[in-house]
Amino acid sequence: MTDFHASDRDVNRVIQAWLDEDRHEDASRLAGAVLDQVEALPQRRATWWRVRRTPTMNRFLSVGAAAAVIVLVLLAGSRLFGSPANIGGPGVEPTATQEATQTPEPSAAEPSVDPEGLLPEGPHLLTDGRLPITVTIPAPDWYGEPGGAILAKNDSAGTGSAAMIVFFSDLYVYGDPCQWSTTRPDTPATTVDEVMTALSAQASRDASEPVDVTLDGYAGKAITLHVPDDADFSACDRATFGSWGLPGADQTPFRYHQDPGQIDEVWVLDVDGELAIIDWAYYEGTPQAVVDELREIVESITFETP
Amino acid sequence: MDTDLVTRAQGGDQEAFADLVYAVADRFLAVSHRILSDIGLAEDATQQALLSIWQDLPQLRDPARFEAWSYRLLVRACYAEGRKSRRWAPHMRLLSGDDPIVVDGTGAVVDRDQLERAFRRLSLNHRTVVVLHHYLDLPLERVADIVGAPRGTVGSRLHYATRQLRSALIADARPTAREVAR
Repeated sequence: MTDFHASDRDVNRVIQAWLDEDRHEDASRLAGAVLDQVEALPQRRATWWRVRRTPTMNRFLSVGAAAAVIVLVLLAGSRLFGSPANIGGPGVEPTATQEATQTPEPSAAEPSVDPEGLLPEGPHLLTDGRLPITVTIPAPDWYGEPGGAILAKNDSAGTGSAAMIVFFSDLYVYGDPCQWSTTRPDTPATTVDEVMTALSAQASRDASEPVDVTLDGYAGKAITLHVPDDADFSACDRATFGSWGLPGADQTPFRYHQDPGQIDEVWVLDVDGELAIIDWAYYEGTPQAVVDELREIVESITFETP
Repeated sequence: MDTDLVTRAQGGDQEAFADLVYAVADRFLAVSHRILSDIGLAEDATQQALLSIWQDLPQLRDPARFEAWSYRLLVRACYAEGRKSRRWAPHMRLLSGDDPIVVDGTGAVVDRDQLERAFRRLSLNHRTVVVLHHYLDLPLERVADIVGAPRGTVGSRLHYATRQLRSALIADARPTAREVAR
C-alpha cells in the first residue's frame, strides 16, 4: 500500500475499482418473474399526436410561421396513453424528472372529472386557459385529462380505439409520410386550401377528395386520410409514419400514426383568420357506435371567440 | 441492442421482449444495486423498470435509442425505490483536499467498507451520476440525457460526489483517537 495525496483521478480509480467488483447479482429469477407478468400486462399504445408545450399566444394578435401552437387535445385512449407528461413521440421520451403540467383555470362549462379521467356526459371545456372550445360528450366511457387536454375511448382496444385532437396552427405537411424527414416543405401551409392540397398530394397514401364543411359557422374543408394496410413503418424514417409537423425547432411529426389501416378525418377551418385543425382518427375495427360518438363530439365543437 | 428485436417487442412480440429482458436484466440489476446499495431495493427497481419497458415500448419512436431510453426508466425506478427507503444520509463532513488516502499500488480498494459507507451517504442523484459515469463508462452528455438534467448539472453532481467520496475516504482512513492511543 502507498499513501498519496489523492487527486480526482486517484479517487476515480478507487471508485471504479470498487464499482467493478463482482457483487454476485443474478437476475435470472427476476427476468422470469417479469416475463410471467408480461402476458397479462397490456402495452400502452403510443399517443396519436405528439404533445407540445410551447408558450401560447393570443391567437387574435398574430398568426405566422413561428406562431405558438395552442394545443387543445382531444384524443381517444387517455388511460392507455397516459398523461401528457408521459406521452411519447418522436424525440419525446421519459425523463427522470417529472415535467410540470399546465392546469387551466376551472370553468363553469367544465364538468367535474372523476379520478380515473372518466368524463360525464354533457358539455366539456377544452382550453389552454385562453382559448376555450366547448364540446359535448354524448356517451359514457370517454376519458379525459382534467383541464381538457385529453379525451379518449376504447383505449385498451387497440385497433378498436378512436381519437381526436383540435389545435390552432399552420402545418408542415410532409410530401411523403414515410420519408418525412426529407420531404418537409420549406414553408408551412397557412390556408385551408394549402393544407388540403398538400394532404391530397401526399405519397404513400390515398387521400380522399377534399369536401366543404362548416362547423360552428366557420367554413373549411375535410379530407380522409388512410394509412395503407401494407405500410411498413420500420422502413420509414425513424420507424415513424408521420403526416405533418408544426412550426418550431422540433421537426419531427406532430401527427404520427400508430398502425397500418388507421383512418384520419381531418377538418381544417378558417377561424377568424387562423387555421383550426381537427383530426379525428379511428380504425376499421373501431365500433361504429364509437365512431358515431366521435363524429358527434366533433360536430358539437363551438369556438368561444371573444 | 438489436433494433429489430426492439421493434418486434414494440409490436407486442413477447418472445422478442424475453430476449430483450435476458439481454439487459443482469446489467440493470448491477446498476440498480450500485445506485441503491441494497439488493432488495435493486431487485424491485429492476423488475419495475423491465415491466415499464414492456408497457411503454410502443411509445419509443426510435428503436436505436432503446439503451438510453431504458436506462431512463431504470433510473426512474431506482428513484422511486429510493424514495420508499429512508436510508439516505445526505450530510457528511468535508475535509481538506490535501490529506492522504490509502490505496494499494494497483488501485484496488483498500477498504471497501469505507467506500460503501461513504457512498451510502451520498444523495440518490449523486450516486446515480457516479454509477452511470464510472460503472457504465458513459460520457457526461449521455448521463445527462438519461437523468434528464443539463450537462452542467451532471458535471457538478459528479464533482461534488467525487469530493465527498474523497473526503470520506480520508476521514475513514484516519486512525481514531483510540487507535492512536494503542
